[in-house]
Amino acid sequence: MSTVTATKTVPQPKKKPLRQRMAKYWGFYLMFIPVLAFVAVFHYAPMFGIRYAFYSWKIVGDPVWVGLANFEKLFRQSQFSVAFWNTIVFSVVKLLLNTGFAVIISLLLNEMVSLRFKKLSQTIIYLPHFMSWVVTASVFSLLLSPSESGLVNQLLIKLGVIDEGIYYLADKGWWRTWYYIINVWRETGWQTIIFMATLTGIDPGIYEAASIDGAGRWKKMRYVTLPALANTIITVLILNLAKIMNLFESVFVLQNSSVQRATNVLQTYVYYQTFNSGASADYGYTTAVGLFRSLVGLALMLICNFASKKVRGRGIV
Amino acid sequence: MKKLVSLILALVLCLGMLSFAHADDKIKIVMMVDTTVVDQNNGRDQFEARWEELHPGFDLEIIQPDHSAYYDVMQQRMASGDWPDVLILSSTYYADYAANGVLWDMTEAWENSKTKNSGRFTGDTVFDGLKIDGKLYGFAPTRGNGCITYIKKAWLDACGLAAPTTYEEYIAMCKAFVEKYGTYAVAAAGFVGGEAPFINYLPEFYQDAYPFFVKQEDGTWVDGFTQDSMKEALQRIQDAVAAGIIDKETLTNTTADARNKFYDDKFGVFTYWAGTWATNLKTNLEANGKDGELVALKPLEGLPLYYDRVPPMWCITAKCEHPQEVFDAFIDTMLDGGDTQMLWTYGVEGVHWSKSAGTVLAGTEKEKTYEDGQFHMLENLEKAGTLYTKNHIDPMLSLASFAEGYYDPKEASVKPEAKAASELFNANSRLASIVPATPELSELNGDLTTIKSEIIADIALGTLSVEDGYKKFEQEGKALSDEIVASLNALN
Repeated sequence: MSTVTATKTVPQPKKKPLRQRMAKYWGFYLMFIPVLAFVAVFHYAPMFGIRYAFYSWKIVGDPVWVGLANFEKLFRQSQFSVAFWNTIVFSVVKLLLNTGFAVIISLLLNEMVSLRFKKLSQTIIYLPHFMSWVVTASVFSLLLSPSESGLVNQLLIKLGVIDEGIYYLADKGWWRTWYYIINVWRETGWQTIIFMATLTGIDPGIYEAASIDGAGRWKKMRYVTLPALANTIITVLILNLAKIMNLFESVFVLQNSSVQRATNVLQTYVYYQTFNSGASADYGYTTAVGLFRSLVGLALMLICNFASKKVRGRGIV
Repeated sequence: MKKLVSLILALVLCLGMLSFAHADDKIKIVMMVDTTVVDQNNGRDQFEARWEELHPGFDLEIIQPDHSAYYDVMQQRMASGDWPDVLILSSTYYADYAANGVLWDMTEAWENSKTKNSGRFTGDTVFDGLKIDGKLYGFAPTRGNGCITYIKKAWLDACGLAAPTTYEEYIAMCKAFVEKYGTYAVAAAGFVGGEAPFINYLPEFYQDAYPFFVKQEDGTWVDGFTQDSMKEALQRIQDAVAAGIIDKETLTNTTADARNKFYDDKFGVFTYWAGTWATNLKTNLEANGKDGELVALKPLEGLPLYYDRVPPMWCITAKCEHPQEVFDAFIDTMLDGGDTQMLWTYGVEGVHWSKSAGTVLAGTEKEKTYEDGQFHMLENLEKAGTLYTKNHIDPMLSLASFAEGYYDPKEASVKPEAKAASELFNANSRLASIVPATPELSELNGDLTTIKSEIIADIALGTLSVEDGYKKFEQEGKALSDEIVASLNALN
């Protein structure tokens, strides 16, 4: 038995040629021109700069063709591999922590009975997201100061956990720990929005049915809420995984000369190679690093798109 | 209706674009500068208008990024190929850009200039130091200035001490401060500076050490970081941090952090800029309710003089279409001894300074009334309660006096403590020199500096011994250092 779909039976209106459509809707096309110009000038035209990855170019004079030499150089540089792995590790750990905490907080918020208190809590945990990274770094530099003004150290000293203040941001090990903590503090609240939206959409009837079946709060969370959230969690992870190469500001503002080399990510590495090389940085080399980063990002995007199609039935691009 | 709206929008867009194409017969000068010239919030538009009034054939456009982002933005602009006509450069960029053909050779223009031949110019020695292979690519209206050490007089008095004259006395004083006030004695913005002369915030500890490339008496170059004097300096810094004399947070302090801690009486010994800053430190301490009296310290016995840094230079780029005209109008008038020098030194009359009768800081304890004809600086447009001290040219560092017969407000505008600090610095400083640019220096110095900074920070904080620090340098930085030294010696 064959099934005939509606789309096959209903005749589609024939599309008019582009010229006719443009003539008919010329006003819309006219309004579209500035947007097209903007995208072309600021998004597509700069892509011609990619060619510099194959040149040596120091601002003045003609670029000198060096083929793949810049790529050979970057794979020889130990600092590049440190920065590359830091980018992956920082991003993945940050992603898992932020998503995990966002889920936990969303579940806790969902359990709150008082609507006023719930709204207040939501507002408080959303607020850090709106602070710039520069302000965030200043605030945490003060909180983590090893001197008497450092709240964290003073608290730990008072509790007898440590004897003297630790200079967290100058210690390579502690720096990473606090980097994750600061990121969780700043971003988790914002991420809860999407989970809260999902939770709000769960049919109350399912909870009622679970209650009738004798489920308590814990069982309802385990067997109703979490499964309902699972698809959203995977979606959020996939969407964010595609962006993990874009790590700069959060690292840059917390760095200092003691930890810089150990904490560089690709974008800060490019920054220092460009602006910390005296006067004439080799823009060819830094473009090569940038291009490599973009290629890895593109590969991740394609993988995520594939994963998204499998999980959600539709891609992300 | 939709079509009409879209037509209007498109017309507005086109007219906007056409307005950029408007041109007149004036020569346009695109100038790029940091905030050493009054910024947008402090009357930059009035400065620009006054400059154009004094130079009617020119249209000045000022590009002024944030002070801390100046070199980032400047490099991005240069990389884009859209070079300004004139820009201000520090010694590092000056040497490199000059070597790479970015800058217009102004040697001949300078030799024939009105400023050089005015009889008022006193900076021949400074300008000799700016020449690269005998050619001049930049103009400095002032000396470079440098840092001197200020000690809080109230802290000295409280400990019953006089200003130290030797390193031993200096350390004893610091220890007395630590004991008396329960806080560190010294703080700075970084254990090592990010640009030449690198060591100027902790001169008593670095002494004769220098972490960059230095030319020896025999004309050969060495990396100062590899010298014994540097190892001894790092040991002194480590000891001082461990003894609580130097603030640990010097590593992460910005200059603003260090200044604010000084104003809050968190420490008593601060090495900072000579001249006008002596007044700024005093007034800010007093604004915080602290005693503002500071003792400017002479270099300690047996220690080198303070560093007078290579001054920032005004340069004309090689893409400037009218370099000689720009030199004549922009560079050669900066120290004209008249109205233009007045503008660059004190700003705009009625905005930054005045000779009209009136009261400044009215309604405050610091208010002062001036009679008609009496020169005085006006209240800061951005920071109420403080007065302007200067515009771009510090009158105490200027390389040319005002012309005979032109009113020189220096005596009326410079505060006694600033004058004293400046005179002490001028009498006790040595000129820093420019390291010539080589391709190796350009390519490798960024990584090398990062390695050196990390080692200095780790030694200072005691996480590395001096010995281990230098082992690390042997493994990670020595090859880069050797390559740069070889390239510099190849220039000889």
